[in-house]
Amino acid sequence: MKKVLNSDKKLGIKQVSPYAVSAVMLIVLWWGLSLVINKPALPTPAAAFKEFYNQLYHGLFFHAWVSFYRIGASLVLALLLGVPIGIILGRHKRLDSYIAPMIYLTYPIPKIVFLPVLLILLGYGDSSKIFLITLIVFYQIMVTTRDAARGIDPGYIMSVKSLGAGNGHLYWHVYFLGCLPEILTALRIALGTAIAVLFIAEAYATQEGLGYFIMDSMGRISYSRMFAGIIGMGLLGFILYLGLDFLEKILCRWKHLKK
Amino acid sequence: MTYIRVSSLDVTYRQNHMEVEAVKNVNLQVDSGEFAVVIGPSGCGKSTLLYVLAGLVKAEAGEVFFSQEPIVSCKRDTALILQDYGLLPWKTVLENAALGLRIRGIPKGIALEKTRNLLRDLGIEELSTRYPLQLSGGQRQRVAIARALAMAPRLLLMDEPFSSLDALTRETLQMNLLDIWQRTGITILLVTHSIEEAVFLGQKIYVMSRSPGTITAVVENSHAGDVTYRGKREFYDTCANLRSLLQ
Repeated sequence: MKKVLNSDKKLGIKQVSPYAVSAVMLIVLWWGLSLVINKPALPTPAAAFKEFYNQLYHGLFFHAWVSFYRIGASLVLALLLGVPIGIILGRHKRLDSYIAPMIYLTYPIPKIVFLPVLLILLGYGDSSKIFLITLIVFYQIMVTTRDAARGIDPGYIMSVKSLGAGNGHLYWHVYFLGCLPEILTALRIALGTAIAVLFIAEAYATQEGLGYFIMDSMGRISYSRMFAGIIGMGLLGFILYLGLDFLEKILCRWKHLKK
Repeated sequence: MTYIRVSSLDVTYRQNHMEVEAVKNVNLQVDSGEFAVVIGPSGCGKSTLLYVLAGLVKAEAGEVFFSQEPIVSCKRDTALILQDYGLLPWKTVLENAALGLRIRGIPKGIALEKTRNLLRDLGIEELSTRYPLQLSGGQRQRVAIARALAMAPRLLLMDEPFSSLDALTRETLQMNLLDIWQRTGITILLVTHSIEEAVFLGQKIYVMSRSPGTITAVVENSHAGDVTYRGKREFYDTCANLRSLLQ
């Protein structure tokens, strides 16, 4: 058993290298594909990264920032709404029995179809994009949180109640902290959806954000610029994902214990 | 002086429109500083009785008095220790043990300092940064005891605290508990289904029967508290007596 643990540790030190190897392999794959297809719509990685570097201070950084805060604001809003509602529904079964049918009816509706409605109602600014992403992410977080809160063992509640805990203490020490791993997992999964929705929301009726940058480059038939935008979008997702991963490791240490 | 007085207590649970009588016509009395034990088969309502005393479950009928005053809700000077699930897996030993103080609104620094001293007294200071999942059953119950004692309670309620432990650990913890009881003069009411545990610890042993749970006998056991009691003749006699009362 000890030997196994030791070899695990050695892997831990070299953990950076698997990512580097994967990154190199993906770039080689892209490079090969671009040579085979040999059309301007798929530039070589070298050309794309060079353009990415050039564009960075010619507007790309600004567009990436706009996309970042749209995603960030949406995730924060979805958390602020989804977590408390999820916990309350998970705790109060009666209330949940009234609300649950409404969730099941509206959950499968692809909310992206409301984009035109939102553009008309909320305008072409940030609010329509943030609202749409929040709406979609909210569902995933709320449903996961509710299920996690339902699964909290009543023994923990009794035990903390016996210490004189009121509702506020129960919500924080038992429900919120107990559901946090599931909440963060839901957030990580929701991130992929959020970025996809962001791209579509930014592709129409806006002049800011990476989605606009990519579609604008396509319109200009500047494919290497388009790929600079795509690289930007990929990096944005990757950085956010790493951030959430890091948060989970710090806040949920108890989930990663070696016994 | 009487500390707890329970008279003609009834508790009924409602499950799927069915009424289940958990406890019926229970009378008991525990003096201040006394170590009392309730013994009975599983499902006889022993735990329910403790939950009522802890203020977690409301009684259907009957009265519960703490030093002449009726019980209202969770009392500040009562601590409850459960068999499992006592500790929150997402908090470290130190955070778990300090939880009661934090809930009382004591500032974090003071609460942690107080708790650290208590863990040191109980000899489990080196565990303070670990999580419950990394502890053995015996260590977990030590932490649960520390969490209860941190509140400086007058009454300690224990719901089968040692029943999932191996025999040796159980006996060590029973000795530790006796030591704490003698040092602090705290009142203890412990629920168990182990005859030996009841006889070793309880100065007064209440025997409970099943469905509906009610008290059928009271055994006075003045030798309890003597650490050498387990090897003596009287110990076996009392055990035999208790066994016959349970059958």
